Amino acid sequence: MKKWHWITLATLFFISLILEFTYLSDYKSHWWNSVPAFYALWGGLSAIAVIYGSSILGKLFLLRKEKYYDH
Amino acid sequence: MITELLYFPALLLILGGLILSIIPKNIRSIAFIVFPVVALGVVFSLPNGFTITSDFASYELTLVHIDALNRVFAIIFTLIAVVGGIFAYHISDKTQQVSALIYAGGALGVTFAGDWLSLFIFWEIMAVSSTFLIWAQKDRDSGDVGLRYLLVHIFGGGLLFAGILLHIAESGSILITALPNIYTLSSVLILLGVAVNAAVPPLHAWLADAYPKATITGSVFMSAFTTKSAIYVMIRVFPEWDILIWVGVFMALYGTIFALLSNDIRQILAYSIISQLGYMVTAIGIGSEMAINGAVAHAFGHILYKSLLFMAAGAVIYSTGKSRLSELGGLAQKMKWVLGFYMIGAFSISGFPLFNGFISKTMIMSAIGDAHFEWVLLLFLVASVGSYLHSGLKLPYFTFFGKNSKADMSIKEVPLNMKVAMGIGGVLCITFGLFPELIYGILPYATNYQPYSVYHLVEMIQILVFGFVVFWFFKDKLNISSDVLLDTDWFYRKPAALIKNVTVYGVDQTFDQAELVILSIRKWASVRFLNPMLWLNPFTNKKNKSSTYSPGIEVVLTFVLMLFVLFSVVYLFVS
Repeated sequence: MKKWHWITLATLFFISLILEFTYLSDYKSHWWNSVPAFYALWGGLSAIAVIYGSSILGKLFLLRKEKYYDH
Repeated sequence: MITELLYFPALLLILGGLILSIIPKNIRSIAFIVFPVVALGVVFSLPNGFTITSDFASYELTLVHIDALNRVFAIIFTLIAVVGGIFAYHISDKTQQVSALIYAGGALGVTFAGDWLSLFIFWEIMAVSSTFLIWAQKDRDSGDVGLRYLLVHIFGGGLLFAGILLHIAESGSILITALPNIYTLSSVLILLGVAVNAAVPPLHAWLADAYPKATITGSVFMSAFTTKSAIYVMIRVFPEWDILIWVGVFMALYGTIFALLSNDIRQILAYSIISQLGYMVTAIGIGSEMAINGAVAHAFGHILYKSLLFMAAGAVIYSTGKSRLSELGGLAQKMKWVLGFYMIGAFSISGFPLFNGFISKTMIMSAIGDAHFEWVLLLFLVASVGSYLHSGLKLPYFTFFGKNSKADMSIKEVPLNMKVAMGIGGVLCITFGLFPELIYGILPYATNYQPYSVYHLVEMIQILVFGFVVFWFFKDKLNISSDVLLDTDWFYRKPAALIKNVTVYGVDQTFDQAELVILSIRKWASVRFLNPMLWLNPFTNKKNKSSTYSPGIEVVLTFVLMLFVLFSVVYLFVS
């Protein structure tokens, strides 16, 4: 990842925040709309949750050695 | 009647498949594309309400009944058969060409069927013909995998047929109609039969087992037809079945977890199908006009981008001969076109604005939001981030950019026809993303839905940006080991050895042991009785060999003595 990649991501996030606070300030359809940058938060936490969740399930139950089904 | 059947696109493709089997090799690849093109033309030309019926025993079968719902599915099925045909232009394997065309015909037949019996016949045609797309791979595993695939589908077909028979007995009608949300034995059996093909966990394992093992071109067809035709039947028969709302959520998360753990690139895409089907199943469960529209639009879009992803993954396998992330890496410079096409599919499935996944996913999300299933919505966002992580980031990163790049990996040039097919898929993904009204205009219910609202743009931008950031810092936590991933197929794959041991090897070994016992008895008897004099006359010379021994007077006297004994015994008992 080069520096400009991070700058692009930050810019995109910044634009989304501007849109959120200007156009959506009175949007009330879901309870979480009152949380600023909720989707960024939920997206990031979800990503961590599924990565660690799958990894733990894999280690505990789901992953076995390659020849597991070979008889 | 006969001329009417020419307007039956399913039959056109099935007959096309049979014709392919007898025409010369050099025109087979062209014919493989021409038949779906003609079928596509027929699908477009037929008006809503068009019906073909046929008498069968005491029933009147409705082979074709076209309305706004099945027209969309028929369009995308035939379209993808054309694209798949172009992708497979370079192959000359008759098995694949014939079975793929019959398979496409089966999917169209299911889509158009107006009655349960016709539907079931085409349902089974699909199951059998698609199995040959696995067997055509002809490698070490494909025989076993194909057999497992076929057995599961025979099981699912059995459930469906039992349900159909019960339903016909109860209702007296063979026409396909929406079933009321009541759990009767017939409706549950039909639902389970459909759920097998719709890959609803725990009945889904055939999909992730088979698709990675099918031929490169076969998996493109398979990714489009079986599951989506089942989704079509679900929309037709089980709208507003509220259990489907949570079943869909479960599917979306289940597919995500397993795709994140998968190492084989086509297995990632296979699990990702299950995850995407979850959106459709939930939308069917909600059953509002917008939800059904969303399910249909998502099925349409999903077929496009998933076939594109399978084509790109297939191109990687074609070029490198490898399919595992643990063996791939660093292909970006060598396969720029494939990477480009893959990323169009990846952006689509991840829900990037301006790509076709966005326009259907947001529609389903809006329908869920309107129905006030807030936790369903939040969990789908988790699944959405998951799709982005496994299909949009993990797969392309470890295939095209990963560290374990091997400079000596030899690359076979991807044929032009494969690039053309991927190009068509890519152009369609972008076109429908830019002009959503092209899909919205053919949906079953009229809609003026606007996907590009500020709200959805904010939502997706934030999710995608932070999903990427997390991926970048946690990518080493993702599994790319060569370990095997256990799924519910464990329940029939693991005991398979035991069952085989008991019913095949066990019986075999019992017969072997019995044979050994018989042989040893024979050996003992032949040695023991080879020379009768050894036990008839205890006073004889034991060194005498039977081959050279001449009995002479000894034998005569022995028999005389024996007769005396015998007579004495008889006399004793009789008197």
